[in-house]
Amino acid sequence: MSIVLSVDNLYKSYSTVRALNGVSFEVPENSVFGILGPNGSGKTTLLGIIMDVLRPNNGGFRWFGKPGSAEQRKKIGTLLETPNFYSYLSATDNLKITQAISGRGNKQDIDTVLRKVNLYDRRWAPFKSYSLGMKQRLAIAAALLGNPKVLVLDEPTNGLDPVGIAEIRELIRELKDHGHTIIMASHLLDEVERVCTHAAILKNGQLITTGHVDEIMKDDDLVEMSAANLQALAAVLQKTGSKVLVDEKTNMVQVVFPQGTAKLDELNRFCFEQGVVLTHLILKKKKLEARFFELTNN
Amino acid sequence: MKTLIYTEWLKMRKYNPFWWIMGITALSYPGINYIFYAGFQDITSQPGQASTYAKMALGNPFAFPEVWHSVAFFSSLFVFIPAVVVIMFISNEYSFKTHRQNIIDGWSRDRFISSKLMDVVMITLLITILYFLVALVAGLINQERLIRDTWGQSYYTGLFALQTFAQLSLAFLIGFLVRKAFLALGIFLFYYIVLENLLVGWLSWKKVSAASYFPLEISDRLIPKPGFWYITNPSAYQKDLDAVPLHILLTVLLTAFIWLFCYKLNRRRDLK
Repeated sequence: MSIVLSVDNLYKSYSTVRALNGVSFEVPENSVFGILGPNGSGKTTLLGIIMDVLRPNNGGFRWFGKPGSAEQRKKIGTLLETPNFYSYLSATDNLKITQAISGRGNKQDIDTVLRKVNLYDRRWAPFKSYSLGMKQRLAIAAALLGNPKVLVLDEPTNGLDPVGIAEIRELIRELKDHGHTIIMASHLLDEVERVCTHAAILKNGQLITTGHVDEIMKDDDLVEMSAANLQALAAVLQKTGSKVLVDEKTNMVQVVFPQGTAKLDELNRFCFEQGVVLTHLILKKKKLEARFFELTNN
Repeated sequence: MKTLIYTEWLKMRKYNPFWWIMGITALSYPGINYIFYAGFQDITSQPGQASTYAKMALGNPFAFPEVWHSVAFFSSLFVFIPAVVVIMFISNEYSFKTHRQNIIDGWSRDRFISSKLMDVVMITLLITILYFLVALVAGLINQERLIRDTWGQSYYTGLFALQTFAQLSLAFLIGFLVRKAFLALGIFLFYYIVLENLLVGWLSWKKVSAASYFPLEISDRLIPKPGFWYITNPSAYQKDLDAVPLHILLTVLLTAFIWLFCYKLNRRRDLK
């Protein structure tokens, strides 16, 4: 699998603040690559540098194996930070400018993308009359114009209602299925977890981890159990030598096993043989959110 | 080049303030010349000997070939009107953040500045065409004899274009550095109408030669006041005419410096 973007040891400072501190990672082709991090972690700075609106203090990046250039940016559909359009122009006229600059798409494609983001009926209304959600949808339309193989989306669901969010999620999945590569910055972890194949986690300008989402999520097995007598259950489980946590609020016992070693049928049999009948037994998948908090120590 | 002009045309064609200001310019250039022309007519058409003497002394500044010079001078007093459009065009890019979006969409940083250079060139061209038409029409109206040196001083078209381009470039520089439309307009108009005139006037009165080398004054001196202005001091007129080539050189250098500076700064800075 070829590499679409490689970021190499990027540094960026704003007066006293170090926004990026030696960040390096690679984005493989046909991946949905999430750049995650709390507010101020350097996500937008990173995207600003790879789209040439910010200058790094050190380090570099390569698109498709070559140093970044205007010609390469023309082939990339980008939504960076906020939707930036000429307020006195309509959606169609604004997209004509996007088309003139990038060379992506034609007149028909403008109508196609406006239909895709449900703005076609308002295509002649000036941008300044749009709601926040409509502005965001126009920015997504601009990024999709001409069907670019690579998309860079910074917080793409900003300002969208739940239906809009679901539509964008579906759109991202659809694009991936058609072989597109999507680089997406977000602080909405649930959103990222649902669509991303790969991720990089940033904190205070430093890369905490990067790789396939499954690798990032790689962690101990957590088994949640309950029984009529919680203390008796906990005592039995102590015999397995595993770490046991009793949560009396939820009336549950949690047991931690090394990754891939929790066997629910054996656990059930063991408890029964020890005289404890289970009323609840489940292998819990750790949410990305929990992993994120662990990694960023929040 | 074609794409640059087309893209800029897409930005300006539905921008109402552009058309309003160009409309005002289209009225003000013939207007200011008509006011001076009417004044000249008043002086020279009164009954009695005085008007005959005045006519002999002043000549007709609105007849060929002097009309090219006179109209260029009077029209150049109003360059601050199209300067408003130039400032609006660059500050709009900052307020809409499209100075970033144009780069994200695939322009290089140099190409963005070139697009703004095209704006200034296009506006200069429109203004020069307007000047040319006003001068031509005024000259034709005042054509007293069939054989006249119609195109004798038409080189003022080039000088007018250079002066307009240089002064609009200065307006662009202020818009480019200040970014905020109202602040940039305020600074430019204050400098154009008040500050430089005060400084140049004061230094000229003190006979300090630096008076000729202020940013706007350099290009102002491409088009000296028309000849009749110097009726009592013809040697000063000749001196100002002789200084024009030097000021052409200085204007070209200053304008080139302005644009090179803009290109260089835009290459280096973060686009926020």
